[in-house]
Amino acid sequence: MLEAKGLGYRVGERWLLRGVDLNLAPGDFLAVLGPNGSGKTTLLRLLSGELSPTEGEVRLLGKPLEAYGAQGLAQKRAVLSQGREMSFPFTAYEVAFLGRLPHIAGREGPEDHARTWQALEKARAAPLAERFFLSLSGGEAMRVEVARLLAQEGEVLFLDEPTNHLDPRYALELLGLFRAMAHEGRGVVAVLHDLNLAALFADRVLVLKGGKPVAQGGPETVLEPSLLEEVYEVPFRKVGSLGRIPLLLPVPQGVLRGT
Amino acid sequence: MKRAILGPIFLLALMGFAQPFRVTDATGKTVEVRSLERIVTLGGVNTEVLYALGMGDRIVGRDGTSEYPPQVMSKPSVGLPGQYSAEAILALRPTLVVAREDTRPTQVLDQVRAAGVPVILVPIEPTVEGAKRRIRLLAQAVGRPEAGEALIRGLERDLLALRSFQAQQAPKGKLRGLVVYLPAPQVAFVCGEGSIFVAIMELGGVENALKGVRGCQPMNPEAVVAARPDLLVTTKKTVETVGGLEGLLRVPGMAQTPAGARRKVLIMEENYLGNIGPRMGRAALDLFRAAYLQEGVVEVK
Amino acid sequence: MTEALSTPSRLRRYRRALWGLALLLPSVLLLGVSLGAYHIPLQDIPALLLRGEGVAYQVLVALRLPRVLGGALVGGLLALAGAALQGLFRNPLVDPGLIGVSAGAALGAAVFIVLLPGAGALETYGLPLFAFLGGLLATRLLWRLAHTPLGVQVTVLLLSGLALNALVGALIGLLTFLASEQELRSLTFWTLGGFSALTWRLLLAGLPLGLLALFLLLPLARGLNALALGEREAFHLGVDLERLKGRLVAGSALGVGVAVSLAGGIGFIGLLAPHLFRLLAGPDHRFLLPGSALLGASLTVLADLLARTLAAPSEIPVGVLTALLGGPFFLYLVLRHKREVYRA
Repeated sequence: MLEAKGLGYRVGERWLLRGVDLNLAPGDFLAVLGPNGSGKTTLLRLLSGELSPTEGEVRLLGKPLEAYGAQGLAQKRAVLSQGREMSFPFTAYEVAFLGRLPHIAGREGPEDHARTWQALEKARAAPLAERFFLSLSGGEAMRVEVARLLAQEGEVLFLDEPTNHLDPRYALELLGLFRAMAHEGRGVVAVLHDLNLAALFADRVLVLKGGKPVAQGGPETVLEPSLLEEVYEVPFRKVGSLGRIPLLLPVPQGVLRGT
Repeated sequence: MKRAILGPIFLLALMGFAQPFRVTDATGKTVEVRSLERIVTLGGVNTEVLYALGMGDRIVGRDGTSEYPPQVMSKPSVGLPGQYSAEAILALRPTLVVAREDTRPTQVLDQVRAAGVPVILVPIEPTVEGAKRRIRLLAQAVGRPEAGEALIRGLERDLLALRSFQAQQAPKGKLRGLVVYLPAPQVAFVCGEGSIFVAIMELGGVENALKGVRGCQPMNPEAVVAARPDLLVTTKKTVETVGGLEGLLRVPGMAQTPAGARRKVLIMEENYLGNIGPRMGRAALDLFRAAYLQEGVVEVK
Repeated sequence: MTEALSTPSRLRRYRRALWGLALLLPSVLLLGVSLGAYHIPLQDIPALLLRGEGVAYQVLVALRLPRVLGGALVGGLLALAGAALQGLFRNPLVDPGLIGVSAGAALGAAVFIVLLPGAGALETYGLPLFAFLGGLLATRLLWRLAHTPLGVQVTVLLLSGLALNALVGALIGLLTFLASEQELRSLTFWTLGGFSALTWRLLLAGLPLGLLALFLLLPLARGLNALALGEREAFHLGVDLERLKGRLVAGSALGVGVAVSLAGGIGFIGLLAPHLFRLLAGPDHRFLLPGSALLGASLTVLADLLARTLAAPSEIPVGVLTALLGGPFFLYLVLRHKREVYRA
């Protein structure tokens, strides 16, 4: 449902990203990994249509991205980005309801409100509905943002570091929710920092370094200490496994004692 | 021979330095005038009085409102009221500066004073007495009291003529006049008690239609209609600003007054309509004649 | 459960506020028409209108009516433009004056007053036209300054607006230097604003452009709601950002240009009305835009009513009045608003 071929993006003389190919099928959960500045966010912005690639192309549901208008795109894909900017006293409900925006032509119907409530309940944010968005804690606000994402009903979901600032319980809950949505046949592309969460929830991982793809494949094959050490320039150690999923820990040389 | 040369030089020195005159200006301050060689005059009527006193050739600078008599236009201008700068005034190396008592900003004149140049503030009380006091003060300041008295006699003659005119042509009832002026289109001011324009209008035997306004204030069109003026008095610049008489009558409120309906409008130069000085009597007389003896639109030269 | 919650209480509050304001405006207009320096008893008005002549009729129809309607138009446009610009900048403290639209319009007026004095019959149309062109030029210049290959960045726009304001201020200062005494007085008066010069002719000249601004801005409400989340989020939600911003800027410039050309610079309405509506109901632009316009219209008609009756037979510049009444009230509201948001 989402295809990228030879994707590259250049600012001035510098390539922020180059040579990325990927193919996302319905039900796929792809995690994008890599150190800071490796081009993860740029990739997400290219895939979501926010930036136009310098070379290569992205196709969504068989059509090149440029063929979509902003609204057409928003009906097919939804994005959960990192920034939380809000300057007006909107309530949580109003923020979640904005997810219905691409689907409303003319007046909104009771249908749109019903779907917003469903999304709020699914994200466990319904009790927050009447609260001011600005007064919510980080975890509460994220649940409302997720409700907005759900209300948008995109077929492909892009998540930019969704677990940032979340405690482990919320983080697991959230990724579990998206995992479930992938099961329902949607595609999920998530930029993640936590390698182990990526290994737990993703079908496939894409590792970037310096704007170039280093490896792509199942987490059990890609997430090898040697590869990670090359990418992150810090030693990694496999400290165990959950089934076929490796558990990895970055271990600086000086700290290593005894073991 | 030597004496023949020295004599005139000595006389010149006497003229230049044998002053000082001491005058008490509008603020009650005693000002010592040591030399009349170079005068800077601020305020149109002050300039007019100095010319009438025969001091025209001593004037080295004027302000933007000094436009009468016409020959003053060849002197350098230090700008408009509110824009005066001490440096521009001092650059003309004045030995005396004459200004209206309401000159702002006051700091400018303080700075001129601090540079050692005497500054005389002239009263602008809008009455005949005020005009006389103004003429006397200026005449005293330039050491020509007799010339001043002559101007005042001229003013009194004009006032006498005005009174005899008013007695001969005794109007059946007093007309009600409204002073209106627009510095820019859409910006209308009307004048009431305490305004120089209204003082001269009343001297000319025209009652002020607009009660309850002090000085010149932004116009309230409905209040103007409610005042029911029979005569509109305005300045020549206003008529130019609004694009002629038709433009004036298009200003909200004007057409709805009896004056507007009858197109009874009197147009005068601003320095003449506001002449608290030698031409005060003549301005009032012209106004009286235009109001009571002439019909329709009158432009007083 | 979903059924009971399907219309959130906030939505009912919006509707009530909008209805309330829609009813308030006609009452305020009626009040404005029935009061003035020229006393006309309220019960005489229908008979007067039927008779169609006389001084009282003239006062009512030729002076008061265009003034009251003009006040409503100007107030409505300023408030609408204020709400739209606050949404564009995602900052509730933005005022139409901030990005230089009002300054540009004032510059246009100043150019006309100083450089083309006595343009004769053209004055009635020339001055408003120049004010409007000034506002539009300022906004276009701003647009070019702030436009980057990555789209229009709000920070750049804001900084350009500040620079433009300074530049326009300097140019007006330069014109002030060239101006004669009387022109000078009018320039200062111009910045305070007023409605005493409003005639049917001016009003009808401004009305089509004012309505155009209304039709440009009102449909942008949903996009503005999305923009409140951030520019990227708005794009993700399907908003065509460049189009939205372009229409916002053009519509606001048009609205402010028309308002300034009709009444000079009247401050605070563009800031106050959207704020009041947010406190009254909420920030949803679908209600905020029309609500602010209605509220701004009512506020301005009331302010002008005070301006022309309090000091009769003279007038208080209405801009002085809006600032004087609006300022302290606004401060109080900001404090209350702050408490409300952060305690909830």
